[in-house]
Amino acid sequence: MAPATQFEAAQPPSDAISALVFAPGTSKRLLVSSWDKNVYLYEVANGTDEANLIGTFEHRAPVLDVCFGASPDEAFTAGVDRQVKRIDLTTGEQTVLSKHSESVRCVVYSTEHSLLISASWDGTLHVHNTADPSQTPLTIPLPGKPHALAASPSKLVVAMTARLVHIYDLPTLSKTLSSQQPQQQPPPQPWQTRESSLKFLTRAVACMPNDAGYATSSIEGRVAVEWFDDSAESQARKYAFKCHRQAVPEDEGGGGGDVVYPVNALAFHPVYGTFASGGGDGTVALWDAEAKRRMRQYQRFPDSVAALAFSGDGKYLAIGVCPGFETGMEDYSGEGRTKVFVRELGETEAKGKGAK
Amino acid sequence: MGKKKRGHPDVEELLSRPWCYYCERDFEDLKLLISHQKAKHFKCDRCGKRLNTAGGLSVHMNQVHKENLTSVENALPNRQGLDIEIFGMEGVPDDIVQQHNQRIIQNFYTAQAERQAATGNPPRGQPGSQGPAKKIKHETPEELKKRLAEHRAKVAAQKAGGANGGPPAAAPTDGQSPAQGTTPFPPPQPAYPYAPAGVPGALPYPAPPTYPPTTAAFPPGPSPPPGTTAPFSIPARPPSGAAQGAAPPYYYNGAPAYPGGAPSTVDELMANAARQGGAGGDDIDQLIRMAEAGIRPAAEAGKNGAEEAGTAAGEKKKKGSRMVYADTDISPEERMAMLPRYRWVEGNSA
Repeated sequence: MAPATQFEAAQPPSDAISALVFAPGTSKRLLVSSWDKNVYLYEVANGTDEANLIGTFEHRAPVLDVCFGASPDEAFTAGVDRQVKRIDLTTGEQTVLSKHSESVRCVVYSTEHSLLISASWDGTLHVHNTADPSQTPLTIPLPGKPHALAASPSKLVVAMTARLVHIYDLPTLSKTLSSQQPQQQPPPQPWQTRESSLKFLTRAVACMPNDAGYATSSIEGRVAVEWFDDSAESQARKYAFKCHRQAVPEDEGGGGGDVVYPVNALAFHPVYGTFASGGGDGTVALWDAEAKRRMRQYQRFPDSVAALAFSGDGKYLAIGVCPGFETGMEDYSGEGRTKVFVRELGETEAKGKGAK
Repeated sequence: MGKKKRGHPDVEELLSRPWCYYCERDFEDLKLLISHQKAKHFKCDRCGKRLNTAGGLSVHMNQVHKENLTSVENALPNRQGLDIEIFGMEGVPDDIVQQHNQRIIQNFYTAQAERQAATGNPPRGQPGSQGPAKKIKHETPEELKKRLAEHRAKVAAQKAGGANGGPPAAAPTDGQSPAQGTTPFPPPQPAYPYAPAGVPGALPYPAPPTYPPTTAAFPPGPSPPPGTTAPFSIPARPPSGAAQGAAPPYYYNGAPAYPGGAPSTVDELMANAARQGGAGGDDIDQLIRMAEAGIRPAAEAGKNGAEEAGTAAGEKKKKGSRMVYADTDISPEERMAMLPRYRWVEGNSA
């Protein structure tokens, strides 16, 4: 087994991490968005166990999400300042693509359809055609505040408050956007609307790279795996399980029981289709969605795991660690405790054993 | 019940099974136990090497990865220490062995009594000791009442002994919002998550079809085992999409309260471990259980219900169960964005 190594990025963000993403393809670039109003660009060095900071991009307000565009030189960000921005990572030039009326929670880019979708707490999605930035983005009203967004090759999954999950068909969105006057038409309807399999607020959504389904996680230490296909057989395959919980030793006050942590992050491995979950308990676990097994769980990180990302070739797993936000916190700061770890995966480390 | 021997081994058989000091699981034979320990407790999470003992793993971590091992992975909370050298059944302290045997015996009799109550069959080896005929049990109202009283006493004793706390007092804990009325579900009894798994050959989560007769046979006492009633108390979840905007989920607004007591028995710890999933190690079992449910689509709705009811009841019951973040309406990010430190006021823009 190839040795698995783990290292920490030099110069981590100075405050909590909101999102973290690897560039598509074999690029080893890593973008991290932070509550300190900056987006950090790292590059994992060849041959050495280092991730070096190669650029920072300052925003007006905390940045809630970031994603790469069509190339490793293009990025999109979602900000508390309600703007969706495009950043040219070479020149550092920032362009505002659209404005929401509330903070923008998520951005996701669909390489297949050259679409950028942003989701805001104002209860709308904006669909941008990145090939033609002059075009007005298409606005889709949502029945709730979105909390997580993920795209598979052909679908877009939006998880909202009140446990609503809408799945949009990306080709349909693309078609509506390219039609003559998209704003005059009724907004595209979701391809499917579902109720979340989890009883609590959705925390993260990730889509399977093979376009078959998606996983969601909640604040209540649980992950659900579902399939897009709404036939009875496929729906019967969906399941949910508990994770990221910790038993309180009985002699330690509080009367024992579990501490239930939110599952903050989910990421599918681009090659093997297995997935990783990261929780408020500071652990990262790898799961085999097919065999319904946990493959491994890594040693506890010093703080809550806020974000996870696999590199495009699946050779690295980046882990954003910062203090978790807990109920009743009056003030919060991730200062000094925010870290970015990069784990170089062994050849078979993330490979599932296949369904049993 | 001609195959009783298969399904329900006797005490001696149960006691002779090798079991794991770290997680109290028992196994068919020593070889399985040792491979379990190597895979679950003595495996290096850096390189996957499986060592024979915790000490061996500690040395390995030290020498190969320059790290210090502080606790044994996937172990019950009070068994994570590295000070005791365990290999298979060797090295287990005597008092722990005693405690384990006690638990096995107690579980055995509890399970037996429950089976008897459920099936009306006499215990094995004492045909007819209970008197009534084998197939149809005629009970006079007095007998029925007596049995109900016995059952109540037993449940009460179990509660007292199992110390899963008193009745579910709905006191909200540590400032979490007062919950939605008391649960209609009784507290999970320690025996529930464990007992089925303790029966070799039986599925860890018996398929729902085995339950209905139990439910039917149970007197409407104050506290039937949760697993038996839950699947039927919660309506099966409607198929996806159908329920958008429908009735709110079980406890949608506000956090559930967690009254109850401390776990004090190994059973409790095991139940915790089973509940705790990720960190506890028994999540695999749970996944297997879910796989079971997945294969039986018809059973799934009920199973889901059972699981959720179990959680609901479990969490209300267990005082210590605490969600680190419990707001079901507002995400942590929204809360953070409201803090002065991060707040954005439109018009500030340059």
